[in-house]
Amino acid sequence: MTLLAHAIAASPPATLAPGGLRGRPMAWSETGGLGLWSTEWAPDIKLERPDALEHHRLVERICAAQPCLPVRFGTAFATADEARASLDKRAAALRAALARVAGKSELALTLLWREPSAPQRIESTAGPGRQYMETRRAEFGARESRRARAESMVEQVVGELAIERQLVWHETCTSDNVAVSLAVLVPTERAGERKAQLEQVAAGFPDVLPVLNGPWPPYTFARTE
Amino acid sequence: MKELTAEDTSLLELVDRLLNKGVVLAGEATISVAGVDLIYLGLNVVLAAVETLEKAQERRAS
Repeated sequence: MTLLAHAIAASPPATLAPGGLRGRPMAWSETGGLGLWSTEWAPDIKLERPDALEHHRLVERICAAQPCLPVRFGTAFATADEARASLDKRAAALRAALARVAGKSELALTLLWREPSAPQRIESTAGPGRQYMETRRAEFGARESRRARAESMVEQVVGELAIERQLVWHETCTSDNVAVSLAVLVPTERAGERKAQLEQVAAGFPDVLPVLNGPWPPYTFARTE
Repeated sequence: MKELTAEDTSLLELVDRLLNKGVVLAGEATISVAGVDLIYLGLNVVLAAVETLEKAQERRAS
């Protein structure tokens, strides 16, 4: 039997409905005041895409019942002893991360460019070599200008919502479509209010389409490395 | 440029979190769809990659 990991929590474990992934039994493997919630899995059963979404729903259920750290989907242990040994190895970092996310949820804000990037058209009578270089320079300039704009939107969001820096994670211009991908850790009881504030700030950016998600379990803020 | 809808984006953001965020513990196994490991694919390629791979797999099978 394999244990397919979902989330780490402090002991004692909360009382949860017994069904894990695909209705299989849930397991709690405890050591030194920490425990791992997982599903009793069989190594020959392949994980599919719907399992990822069901894992998300399970993590939501666990995090609603007690402070927890979501474990990256696909993590499996051959035995409960292996799971406990893995917790023991990083116990101090896991406890610190649990304290950081306790009572908090994650909101996700993605800003999508409304228009594709349009580098300045180069009209030149110069030779093909120079035209090529000028075109490359114009493309680079357009990319840098978009990156600067994306960073300025992040600054505005963080500033207007008065969010502590360590509670924000972001990336900019990760693809042609995405201007900003941002995650914020907020108190769970204020998640609705903070989401409305984020929506309001993002609605003020004319050049992007805002997409807001959450509250989710604190995936982005659960890392310990 | 393929336009992302809000629904695409929400799913991509969630899938990115499930596969690329969260605690990394020793003992990790990779998961795959259509025989290709997904765990370390990034936010902007996961969904498109899965769809493309699934279609390619169907074409190969037919």
